[in-house]
Amino acid sequence: MEYFLNQLINGLCQGSIYALMAIGYSVVVGVVGMVTFTHGEVIMIGAFASFYVFNALGNNLLLGVVASFAASWIIGMIIYKVCYEHFFSAPRHISLICTIGISILIKNLAQIVFGPNQMPMLNVVKNNVYKLGPVQISTVQILVIVIVVVLAGILSLVFNKTKWGIALRAVSQDKTAAYMMGINVKRTAMIGNCIGCGLGGVAGMLLSIYYQTLSATMGGSYGMKAFSSSVLGGLTDIRFSAIGGLCIGLIENLGITISSASFRDVFAFGFLILVLIIRPQGFASKKGARP
Amino acid sequence: MSALLEARGVCKYFGGLKAVESVDMTVNKGDIFGIIGPNGAGKTTFFNICSGIYQPTKGEILLDGEKISGLPSEQIAGRGMARTFQNIQLFRYMSVLDNVKIGFHNRTKTRLGDAIFHDKRYKQDEEFVVEKGLEILEKVGLLEFKDTLAGNLAYGVQRKVEIARALALDPKILLLDEPAAGMNPLETQSLMEFIKQLNADGYTIAVIEHDMKFVMNSCNRILVLNFGQKICEGTPDEVKSNQQVHEAYFGKGIIAGEAVKGNG
Amino acid sequence: MRDFITKSKALYQKHKIWFNIAILVILVVLPLFIRQSYLMGVLCRILLYATLAGSLNAINGYSGQTCIGHAGFFCIGAYCEAILATRLGLSFWLALPIAGIVTAIFGGIIALPTLKMKGIYLSIVTLGFSEIVRLVALNWEGLTGGPMGIKGIPVPKVFGMQFSGSHTYYYIFLAIAVLFIFVTGRVIRSRVGRAWISIREDQLAAKSLGVQTSHYKSMNFMYGAFWAGIAGAAYAPYVRFIDSTMFTLDEGFNILSMVIIGGQGTLVGPVAGSVIVNLLTELLRPVGQWRMVAYGLLIIVMMWWRPQGLVGASDSILSGNTGKKRLSRKAKKGVSA
Repeated sequence: MEYFLNQLINGLCQGSIYALMAIGYSVVVGVVGMVTFTHGEVIMIGAFASFYVFNALGNNLLLGVVASFAASWIIGMIIYKVCYEHFFSAPRHISLICTIGISILIKNLAQIVFGPNQMPMLNVVKNNVYKLGPVQISTVQILVIVIVVVLAGILSLVFNKTKWGIALRAVSQDKTAAYMMGINVKRTAMIGNCIGCGLGGVAGMLLSIYYQTLSATMGGSYGMKAFSSSVLGGLTDIRFSAIGGLCIGLIENLGITISSASFRDVFAFGFLILVLIIRPQGFASKKGARP
Repeated sequence: MSALLEARGVCKYFGGLKAVESVDMTVNKGDIFGIIGPNGAGKTTFFNICSGIYQPTKGEILLDGEKISGLPSEQIAGRGMARTFQNIQLFRYMSVLDNVKIGFHNRTKTRLGDAIFHDKRYKQDEEFVVEKGLEILEKVGLLEFKDTLAGNLAYGVQRKVEIARALALDPKILLLDEPAAGMNPLETQSLMEFIKQLNADGYTIAVIEHDMKFVMNSCNRILVLNFGQKICEGTPDEVKSNQQVHEAYFGKGIIAGEAVKGNG
Repeated sequence: MRDFITKSKALYQKHKIWFNIAILVILVVLPLFIRQSYLMGVLCRILLYATLAGSLNAINGYSGQTCIGHAGFFCIGAYCEAILATRLGLSFWLALPIAGIVTAIFGGIIALPTLKMKGIYLSIVTLGFSEIVRLVALNWEGLTGGPMGIKGIPVPKVFGMQFSGSHTYYYIFLAIAVLFIFVTGRVIRSRVGRAWISIREDQLAAKSLGVQTSHYKSMNFMYGAFWAGIAGAAYAPYVRFIDSTMFTLDEGFNILSMVIIGGQGTLVGPVAGSVIVNLLTELLRPVGQWRMVAYGLLIIVMMWWRPQGLVGASDSILSGNTGKKRLSRKAKKGVSA
């Protein structure tokens, strides 16, 4: 039982990082209107950006967040220019293949630049473990959850209260209509894409702090996690994507309480396929507004 | 005269919207059956129910006395109902002949194995498909376009290709959804002749059309829909003299006359 | 240039049989002139991936379903042959078709629940499937040897002659690739192939013409999976050792990019894609990691320059030209001419 409860906490924490990745992912998919396979690489870039900033400027968590957000923002701009801007009216598979191409490109460039090996992350925060009855929770876990909640809060404020956010939502619902209302669709789509990527970058930083490790090849599996979480939530619905991320984190960690840890990803993908078969639109209730 | 296609109390609701509300219809063998009504009257929805793209919320559709509502559209096609679409749905990037060849799908039996080994069945089917396909194209007058990509043809010709493709099914009944939409008067004229010719060849045809001249002159029975409800079914003369039809098309004011004059 | 291509195409069409025989003869005698087993290895890879990419093309290019987890089928085929050969001592010639059929069954299982799904959702399921297959192969130690993989897969034998090493194994890959292209060519030009293509072009219209779309979609999936399984089963005894790291998602993306680079929906496209990608990655081997960077770049350049692929037709639904734009352009050309 104790093991189960601790796995629940682990799942919640991991799930909230997944939720952040998934939020970023569904912002991208919503605004751009195309599915992408670059999110893993964006996450990896975010992790490395924070790693170098921590190395150079000391353990300042806020600087880390800014650095990973900014680095991923820039990568997001490049991805947008290469993969999306050209292909808004083309069949979807073309930009999909483009994202696969740029993902291969970034991944291998990163292996050249950052080196192919796993690196240990610095101890950014002093890690204490608190005991609440049978449950253990660490400083890092609390920190992760706090950062995710704060970022999600800021995002929802931006989306609902600012002019920018409304433009973003308009573009993600109907590009033609938004264009007719005088919104600069291409620029808005790019900003939206960059915001999504930035969130992915912060998630990358949190992942590397949480697991104390980072590598140039870490993107692949996390990209898939972001992807599946967001699919669970119906791809473009931000709130449901966050729930999807939490679910995947929980399923993985609870799944390994009943079998071995190596089957973690099997649970995640199995759950995803099961949900898709029963409910093809994911958790989201309404149809439409998706690629 | 026996009923070929029958609709009994067909309803289709989209959420709260009643797109089609208890419509009855009888199309007899050998008819050219016209369906008219103002825009948004539910004509195309009704066609989509008949051809199995939508399932009716209530009511049933009978083809040759057998219930077909509830079946998927491919099975309904297999039972002898062919249709065309309001916004042409050709295989744009395939040649005209290939388009027609697909129409023969249900009349041929080649399976994967037959195709791999080029056995007797495959050869018979391919011969049959090419021979009959060219025959249909000749009848429709499209023989010269047989190797052209369907998407490259003029609009009016594309309509004809769609009809040719539907004819390849050897249907008992042919549903045409606004076949003259977007055509110039000359093209419309030749299309009408063509439809009449098809009817003379023994095809039963149900057609949605806005062109009143065409509907009144060539259809022998007409169904009028408005706001999803049937307001009239009968011969062209009956429809012409029906008060409700006039109201649906021109509004009450004009028919009554006084209201408009009074304001003017 | 365009004129030259159309002319050579016409010439090929005219003497099709002779050209094909000539190409086949060249391919058969080729190993006699090549000494280095390294070069033969590259040729083997090209043929193997031609079959793999072709089998994916049968799904993506002809029925328009976007499968992106093809590595999963490849994996099943390879493990199936390896297990049958090492555990039950089955001969390669028997294990090969069994592996194909088993993979086809898996293809059917994946196709069934996805029939109603569209576009990207189907892709996601294939992707998840591919990962699950790999993870099961990695973790089911009892059956697959887990992370240790399966070693010492026996090589195929015919009348005492052993197919070991790339010089002899080349013929197995060649036979499979040729058989695949031959069979697929026949299927495509039949009622079955037309049904697949009609689904790709316009599913609603296909249904209205009586094509049982679900039936043909799952058949199409099984067909593609079958050949991927065959390719996998042929691959296992060639390398003699397999483990789950050979069948990652990247492998699936690799196969997919060959199809796209070569040209979807054509028989020659995947072969061309396989030749280009394999040659390029081999030529760039000296620059190490940079070759993968170049590979990524190639994919992007290809999408910008020729989204229909190298040999893909520009007048195809896959070319990226949205119909109306293209047609109006053509129409203008017609007027000026």
